[in-house]
Amino acid sequence: MNKILLLEDLPEIRAWVKALVLQVFPQAQISEAARVHDALALISAERFEVALVDLGLPDGSGVDVVAALRESQPEAQSVVVTIHDDDDHLFPALQAGAFGYLLKEQPREHFVEQLQRISQGEPPLTPSIARRVIAYFAAQNKPQERPQNLPHVSLTDRENEVLLWVAKGFTLPEIGTQLNLSRHTIADYVKQIYRKLNVSSRAEAALEAQRLGLFRR
Amino acid sequence: MPCIRLLHTLARRLRAGARCVAAGLLLSVAGPALADEPGVVQINQAAVVASAAPAFPTNASLQTVRLPDEWADSRPQADGPVWYRLQFTLPATDASTLMAAYIDRVCNNAEVWLNGSIVFSGGRMGEPVTRNCYYPQLVTLPPALLNPQGNVLDIKVQGYALQHVASRQRAGGLSTVRIGPHAVLAAQHARQTFWNISLVQVISAMLVLLGIVMLGMGWQDRRNPYLGYFGLLAIGWAALSARLWWRQPPFDNATGEFLTCVGFGVLVGLAIQFLVRYAGLRSRKLEIGLLLQCVLVPATLALAGADRLYTMTSGWYLLLSAEVMAAVTLYLRVTWRKGLDGRAEFWPMAFMLMGVGVLVLVDLATQHQLVTLLPVHVLHFSMPLMFLAVGARQIQIFGRALQLAEASRNSLESRINEVTAEIERNFSQMAELRVEQVTEKERKRIAADLHDDLGAKLLTIVHTSESERISSLAREALEEMRLSVRGLTGKPMQVADALADWRAETVSRLSQANIEADWRSPTEDVNQQLSARAFVQTTRILREAVSNIIKHSGASHCKVRCSIGEHDFVLVVQDNGKGIPMELDGKLDRGHGMASMKHRAKQMQGQCLVESGPGYGTVIRLTLPL
Repeated sequence: MNKILLLEDLPEIRAWVKALVLQVFPQAQISEAARVHDALALISAERFEVALVDLGLPDGSGVDVVAALRESQPEAQSVVVTIHDDDDHLFPALQAGAFGYLLKEQPREHFVEQLQRISQGEPPLTPSIARRVIAYFAAQNKPQERPQNLPHVSLTDRENEVLLWVAKGFTLPEIGTQLNLSRHTIADYVKQIYRKLNVSSRAEAALEAQRLGLFRR
Repeated sequence: MPCIRLLHTLARRLRAGARCVAAGLLLSVAGPALADEPGVVQINQAAVVASAAPAFPTNASLQTVRLPDEWADSRPQADGPVWYRLQFTLPATDASTLMAAYIDRVCNNAEVWLNGSIVFSGGRMGEPVTRNCYYPQLVTLPPALLNPQGNVLDIKVQGYALQHVASRQRAGGLSTVRIGPHAVLAAQHARQTFWNISLVQVISAMLVLLGIVMLGMGWQDRRNPYLGYFGLLAIGWAALSARLWWRQPPFDNATGEFLTCVGFGVLVGLAIQFLVRYAGLRSRKLEIGLLLQCVLVPATLALAGADRLYTMTSGWYLLLSAEVMAAVTLYLRVTWRKGLDGRAEFWPMAFMLMGVGVLVLVDLATQHQLVTLLPVHVLHFSMPLMFLAVGARQIQIFGRALQLAEASRNSLESRINEVTAEIERNFSQMAELRVEQVTEKERKRIAADLHDDLGAKLLTIVHTSESERISSLAREALEEMRLSVRGLTGKPMQVADALADWRAETVSRLSQANIEADWRSPTEDVNQQLSARAFVQTTRILREAVSNIIKHSGASHCKVRCSIGEHDFVLVVQDNGKGIPMELDGKLDRGHGMASMKHRAKQMQGQCLVESGPGYGTVIRLTLPL
């Protein structure tokens, strides 16, 4: 039995997503929320395996919920469900710890397929997101721009290679063929990239907060 | 008493030394005068009697004196008139030569008789006596009155005892008398007149001019009051110099001497004020003291009375000289301490002021009979020369300051212009930036509104509509909206990135529809940029083309080729499907979106060509400018 958090403010869409989630996880126990506030309350009360989080909500951004969940329940998988397909919206969510994203207007069968893939550990990765990740790690690796005490998170050569291929517009199956790697291996690289992005971003954010004096114990 | 003897010895030594200096000066100034001219005899002694008689009193008891005869030495405390009788024999010269007697100095005035006939008068012999002390006298000796031998020259001198004058130079006395050819002595007379009188007059005129200029400069530049003091000093000195050449003042000797002394008190006050203010100092007490002194000088002179005029003035001169020297020392000290700037000013001023000091000392020595009277009054023209030098320096400083002010004004003006231009530039930049920021903010707001409101509604239609057609239309509308927003808010992107995005979407969609995709595009050396609008429009065209292939063509293979030129890029999409049916050829757009693809291409100044034949598949050739 899967415990799933569903955060979506539009009732029709929430119903639609819920129906599809039940297709993928027939045994799921779904907790619904329409606001960031409610979702945060649910997170502090229950443990979830999967959270489907909308970004633009009446009382804030779903990114905060993703970050809170990553903080308190690291094993939970956050998936962003959004109408925004641009990396300006998606990248912060991925940095906060989201493990993939789904576009709301997709036909039901695509949505189900994507959700299945994500739940099986195959998150999607678009060229523009890949470019953002490359740029992010390039900046991290510049010693003069990196604070001294920031834990150094770097990508392996293979991870970099996969990112570069994606950034050039190649699909994950194509890259698998190209590198002579199985679909699961490629998916593992992508998962690893997301994880490292999150770890590095969190360390950076903590350091920034410390620098600003927000951490006063 | 030994003290006094020592003083006398010292005085004698000093006199001897001073004579050497004087001789040197004379050699340089009036050199030829001392050399024995041919046919000139010098008379060094005379019979003398003090008498106011209208003719030489032959019956009085005569004394013999050596010339020059200084009354201060030979007849202290006695005023004139005094008769002198000189005997001479004509030097051997051509009989036709006009002869003359030359008297270097006769103070204050004289009348001359030759063999009993009057031949010369210097002016009034009664009060106010004509003041001829600085005028050398040339007496033409009429040939008719001359004897070859045994000539008698009677000179009646009107003068004053030393105690009745302020300066020894104006005490009564008669110098040696020289008899010789008129031409020779006239030249000597002219030379002496030049040094004693003309030069002083010329310099006085210059000083007045300088003084006026200085006063004008001081008036313009109130921050430098020393200029005013200097101007007054120069004019005052010139006025006081009038005593040298003004022969017929409308007042008697006592008044003239009194005024001279008072004038010096004022001049010294001005000089001290100049030096102190020039050094950048100011003292109220000093100013009051100097003013008091100006009053005190005439007061003490009046109290002392006419008979003690010389003693009083000598005392004052000593005190005033000491004051000037103290001011000079103070000025030099302050200037020296100003460091490098001061040093540059220090040496010329020090040199000049030292000169002044020496001259004042010589003058004081003369007044106190340590030195015999010099035939040329160095102080009278060297002092003004020093004034002129200081004045020239002031004008130079003023000129430099003016130049500097002009230069700094110019640089300030250009700086202001620069800054103004910069401010204007910054302002317009800020305005532009502001407009950009506002535009950007507004775009973002519109984008957010579209997503939140329109997007949410379309989404609801997509997922709630019973009709597949409506929900797919709503989905297309949503995609359109998203692209529009991107065209509205997006930044220009690299062509390489755009190609990557198109490739990922196209290949992914085709492979989901089980159509084999073959995409080839240049991956290296693509540096061109694509505007957000061009990216969005191209994305729509490409998406439409791929949708057509998936929906209608029944193709199993799709080839996409992309080539990038200098100014445009070409996208060719070719499928191996059944092509567009003939009956749809005329109106290609129906269900196939061909017209909208062409329309979008045209909007971007590009073109979209569709080649299709039944069984041959479809080729879409899109050419767009970069």
